[in-house]
Amino acid sequence: MHWQFSNDMPIYTQLIEQIKVAIVSGVFLPGERLPSVRDLAVDAGVNPNTMQRAMAELERDKLVFSQRTSGRYVTEDHMVIHALKADLARIHVARCVEALERLGYTREDILDVLTNSLKGE
Amino acid sequence: MLKKLLKHEFRATARTMLPMYLILLVASLGANLTTRGLLETEYPILDTIGVILVMLFVMAIIAVCVMTLVTMIERFCKNLLGDEGYLSMTLPVSVHQQVWTKLIVSVVWFAATAAAVVIAFCIMAFDLGVVKQALDVLVGLLRELWQNMSAYYALNGTAIVLELVVLVVVGLAANCLRFYAAMALGYSFANYKLPLAVVFFFVIGGVEKFLLSLAMNLLHIVNVADLFDQILIQHPMTMTHTVFVGCIVSQLILSGIFYFLTTYCLKNRLNLE
Amino acid sequence: MAILECKNLFKKYGAVEALSDVTLSIDSGRIIGLLGPNGSGKTTLIKLANGLLMPSSGEILIDGKAPGRESHAIVSYLPERTAIPIWMNAKQLMDYYEDFYADFNRSAAEEMLEHLGIRPNQKIRQMSKGTREKVQLIMVMSRQAKLYFLDEPIGGVDPATRDYILSTIISNYNPEASVIISTHLISDVEKVLDDVLFINNGRLMLQTSVDQIREEKGMSVDELFREVFKC
Repeated sequence: MHWQFSNDMPIYTQLIEQIKVAIVSGVFLPGERLPSVRDLAVDAGVNPNTMQRAMAELERDKLVFSQRTSGRYVTEDHMVIHALKADLARIHVARCVEALERLGYTREDILDVLTNSLKGE
Repeated sequence: MLKKLLKHEFRATARTMLPMYLILLVASLGANLTTRGLLETEYPILDTIGVILVMLFVMAIIAVCVMTLVTMIERFCKNLLGDEGYLSMTLPVSVHQQVWTKLIVSVVWFAATAAAVVIAFCIMAFDLGVVKQALDVLVGLLRELWQNMSAYYALNGTAIVLELVVLVVVGLAANCLRFYAAMALGYSFANYKLPLAVVFFFVIGGVEKFLLSLAMNLLHIVNVADLFDQILIQHPMTMTHTVFVGCIVSQLILSGIFYFLTTYCLKNRLNLE
Repeated sequence: MAILECKNLFKKYGAVEALSDVTLSIDSGRIIGLLGPNGSGKTTLIKLANGLLMPSSGEILIDGKAPGRESHAIVSYLPERTAIPIWMNAKQLMDYYEDFYADFNRSAAEEMLEHLGIRPNQKIRQMSKGTREKVQLIMVMSRQAKLYFLDEPIGGVDPATRDYILSTIISNYNPEASVIISTHLISDVEKVLDDVLFINNGRLMLQTSVDQIREEKGMSVDELFREVFKC
């Protein structure tokens, strides 16, 4: 898995975001066993404590669950994953709209731009 | 932990000392050829070889002695005060154990070198005739020794031998510790570590000489020489023991001072580059 | 209890103050960056913690005790210089560590050396400078110590070696231990750190967590460092 970090946000929030994307996009499948915190930390090149913190947060959001003996798994609840996907889509759309508005587009123009762009493809 | 330190110290020093002893052994075997008549032939080439072999033997003896000294100095200097000091001085052992390890191992190697040189001379001179003579002498000595032991002087004779052994060991230790103290002092400064160590070595030697002459003068002033003479004539054994024990005690005191200086510097003034 | 504690710690070399009134406390289970420009006192602090220097005044305590043989048994130290005896081979070096450190995990060391392609009978003298540094790091990280001091572990190495070093530190990290990494190359270690100590001219300027810096200031530690130490 490819990890990338920016400077302006805490590492653990960026970890959460990227793991969420991995779950939604199927890098980690529903019900799949996740690598250990240490292995994930080595892979991302981050502090294991930080990875642990991100995992705890994801667990609180019910995206992953841990079984005392055998490790940590991605949720099997498709509803939760679906909701997460919708959530992430909303965030990306909001960002896109914000960027276009900064360029001076009105809400109506934005719809045109998007329609044209999608048709063009 | 002292045991483990000793084990690793012997391991570290044996890799220089054992090859040196091997060289000495080979050189003494070579020299043995010479003593077997290489010099008495009519071929000049054999003459030359004989001379070279003897020279090599002498050089090997010097080399072994020098290397023993160098190893003693280098192990202390490099292993405790050089880059390796970052590892040695952060081992879970005390400074005392470190200094004792270096000291014990050095004294053992000095003794081993002395023994090796004696053996080398024996090998060089090894010849059936010579050996027979030597054996005769040895047997004679042993017989004499036995007689002495069982005679009136037995206790004194054994005591003197023991005193001599102790004096040699303590004297060797004091000499090693003099080097250690000078190095520990010199290396406690930020710059000119090695030159300062050399300076301290000679300063220590100078102070010792000064104190010795001071003591001699004092003895001279109180006029003990006459007293000594009288004792020597009346109780020669007492006098001999007194001198031996006096030497041992003085070497012990010196060792104590050097040991204190060394451990004090290593504990409080360590200053690795 | 704090694993490392400094109380009004001073270290003077003659008239020069290498450390000036440093008071700090570090708990177990953290990876801490000791950050500062060259000559700011990082190495002096680490040497004091390892008993290689004596404080001029004040106190430094490891697990409640002054540095000495007891603290050496629970502290694993990677010095700036290569300190491993170069006449040894890899096996002898492991024998040495195994004999003196009860917490040395030999199989972990063997595995890491094998991974690097180092044979047990290979002499350290014959290794390149970079390989020697890696071997030394492997020895240090193969101990199950309570406190690790890594003095400039990534100074002057190529990016691939740097990644190797950082992943070796992470993969051997034990959550009950604390690791103190001194460096002036902050952007490289930033992702690995829980907390940072900023030190300049022998004085402690800041002790905080990386998340806090990013959350409150919206900038990376590297950016904050450049701001604080602007020339």
